[in-house]
Amino acid sequence: MAGPSWDTSRYLTLFSGEATEHLEALGKDVVSLEKGATVALIDSMFRHAHSVKGMAASMAFEGTAKLAHLLEDLLGTLRADVARSNASVADVILQTVDSLSGHVKAAAANEPLPDSTALMTRLSELNASMTGRPATPTAPSPAPVVETAPPPPKSTSAAPPASNPAAPPRFSVKLKINPASNQPGVRGFLAYKRLGTLGNVFDLKPPLDDIKAGRVPQGTITLELETDQTEDAITRTMRTVADVELESIAAIVKAAPVVAAPAEVDPNRVVGQEPARTIRVRTEVMDQFLDQAGELLLATSRVRELSRGMPAAQRPPLDEAVDRLHLLVKGLHDKVMQARMTPIAVITDRLPRAARDIARRRNRDVDLVITGEDIELDRAIVDELADPVLHLLRNAIDHGLEPTEERTAANKPPKGKVTIAVRRLRDRVVFELSDDGRGIDVERVKVLVVERGLLTRDQVTALTERETLMLVCLPGFSTAADVTDISGRGVGMDAVRRAVEQVGGTLEIETRAGRGTSFRLSLPLTVAVVNLLLVGVGDEVYGLPIGKVSGVVETARDRLAMSQNAPVLQFGQSVLPVHELSALLEVPGDARTAALVPFVVVDGDDGRLALAVDRLLGQQEVVLKGLSKPLDLVPGLAGVTILGNGQPVFILDVARLVTA
Amino acid sequence: MRHVLFRLEKDRYALPLSSIREVVVAPDTFTRVPRSPKAMKGVMNLRGRVVPVVDLRELLDVAPGPVGGPGRVVLLDRGRRELGLLISEVDGIESLEKIGPPAPKASLAVKGLARLGAIPVTVLDPDALDATVARAFTTK
Repeated sequence: MAGPSWDTSRYLTLFSGEATEHLEALGKDVVSLEKGATVALIDSMFRHAHSVKGMAASMAFEGTAKLAHLLEDLLGTLRADVARSNASVADVILQTVDSLSGHVKAAAANEPLPDSTALMTRLSELNASMTGRPATPTAPSPAPVVETAPPPPKSTSAAPPASNPAAPPRFSVKLKINPASNQPGVRGFLAYKRLGTLGNVFDLKPPLDDIKAGRVPQGTITLELETDQTEDAITRTMRTVADVELESIAAIVKAAPVVAAPAEVDPNRVVGQEPARTIRVRTEVMDQFLDQAGELLLATSRVRELSRGMPAAQRPPLDEAVDRLHLLVKGLHDKVMQARMTPIAVITDRLPRAARDIARRRNRDVDLVITGEDIELDRAIVDELADPVLHLLRNAIDHGLEPTEERTAANKPPKGKVTIAVRRLRDRVVFELSDDGRGIDVERVKVLVVERGLLTRDQVTALTERETLMLVCLPGFSTAADVTDISGRGVGMDAVRRAVEQVGGTLEIETRAGRGTSFRLSLPLTVAVVNLLLVGVGDEVYGLPIGKVSGVVETARDRLAMSQNAPVLQFGQSVLPVHELSALLEVPGDARTAALVPFVVVDGDDGRLALAVDRLLGQQEVVLKGLSKPLDLVPGLAGVTILGNGQPVFILDVARLVTA
Repeated sequence: MRHVLFRLEKDRYALPLSSIREVVVAPDTFTRVPRSPKAMKGVMNLRGRVVPVVDLRELLDVAPGPVGGPGRVVLLDRGRRELGLLISEVDGIESLEKIGPPAPKASLAVKGLARLGAIPVTVLDPDALDATVARAFTTK
């Protein structure tokens, strides 16, 4: 196929985004395929493969289009006889999906497409063995379905204006698909398209989508063809389509104009009620929108601050204008935030596939049930959750679920079950991942924590069950007896917890011996606006997320108690370690001469701690900005914001500040 | 290729014009970046964006001279972000074609040496400069 004449690079991002979506959906379908093949399921797979093929062809990625085409062929065969689907067929399909994803990635990176000849041969052979026809390994597409042919004529149920004297003659055509055909859908579609090259097709029955999907009752297709060609020419054209027979053809007498039957109109379409229209926007652009809207908010507070210096007489009208501006900007910001909402399905769609792979490698059998995946969260949160959620799933299959023999012995169904339930709870989203496995052995966790020197025996005995369970989130903790490549390494539970807290969420663990474990993530809908406690250290100002601050104690340094030669602060019933914030941040603080020093009590990873600061500067709601390189290399920074006076201020990640 | 010529104290340096987004007057104060290498001057608010600024003298080990004016910040275009370089003064834009090898002990951020009439000019490599900053953070 000749390369397109326009500059495809502009469409590359769009192509890679859309193709990836189709491939992910396809991967998800393959997993369902293993549970049982249905025509509807294979139809869905066929559609995704077909879309990928079309997109690849229009971008002139011929290898990709060919691979997708062979996959489409195989799916077509499978649809004719869904009973032939088995695990090995599913494996080949998955392999093809992976390979296609590789193609798309390479294409997006402007790299040469990977060579998939071996896979193409395998696909053709498999298809041939199922159809009984010889394989045509990497030969040109045997049945070009869409791209190479001229666009098919629009099928319409409405009759043309009968009064039009220039209208060419019409024929009533009846086609019969050979009942032995393996691809009745493709055959019927081809016949329709061939006829379409002769003239205009009307009154197609069954509708085109049904034909494409192979739903052709008794193999009979009827249509009306408006064409200048003779009856003979039509008959000859139809002979070129294999497996389709022209059963009858008759000229229609024009005197009987057909009135469009209202029943033909799509019942779902209500006049005057357009479906919600959407456009596709690059996520990067959405990020820029938010940045700009956030900057507008900051600029507005800057104007408000400047207005305070104005003579009193001029202030009321100015204040009013600023108030109005603030409202408008806030409204814009809210709208942008709303536009960034993304369904959690973006991450959960990959999980059935991942679950299958993990379970296979561990020789386990697992059923993954996902509910509420249409619930929406800010895109930034959804992005941050992808890895942690995958890790939780791995843990559940790898360590939570018992091997089949153990399950049978415990009177449980041999197949393990992992449930992901997402639901809205007031202004938060609760994401819960549960397994019906063996549960976490709380006593064993205590033993391990002591063994690994993470806590002392005395510390451990004082803990409640809930607190003990949270110990699995300590860095360097793992209950797995064996370390596999599936879990036990890589992101641990500490990384999961950190990621969840980074976006302002909380993590809770619940377990019942022999019954299973639940990980409950409670997440905010949006991240961009945070409430800060501003503190001063020397000449600098820092922000501490209010959610992490438990309280403030003002006392003199020399009144602190000492424990193991380090100062500690009495806070309620507990004694907390004290850190000088200036030392943690490596910035100069004030000379330590102040009579009273504010100690901010914050939640760290290993419990509360006190930070000595020079000044408390009050609370402020700010728009959080992410850190770009090289600032993201600094451990202990969560983000940055700009105060009303234009000063940039860093927001601290207290837990990392102390540990890293 | 056209280069922006600038000075660090008395020494002359150059960066490709295409790598530079703009040059601004340095603010009076920078917000200090915690736990950062000495060469990290801090961050500045550039029309609502938070831009990290590196003191190029520190990064390239140029001895500081007597305190002069506020200096300038050259903003390197790094795609979706910017890296600010604090320098002494901008001299102008000149075409530099022949760039010879760098001095033996020069920083990795130096691409080579060029001459403008009789004056030697050290030409910097924007990518290597960026990498040198990142390395300063990780090896601190």
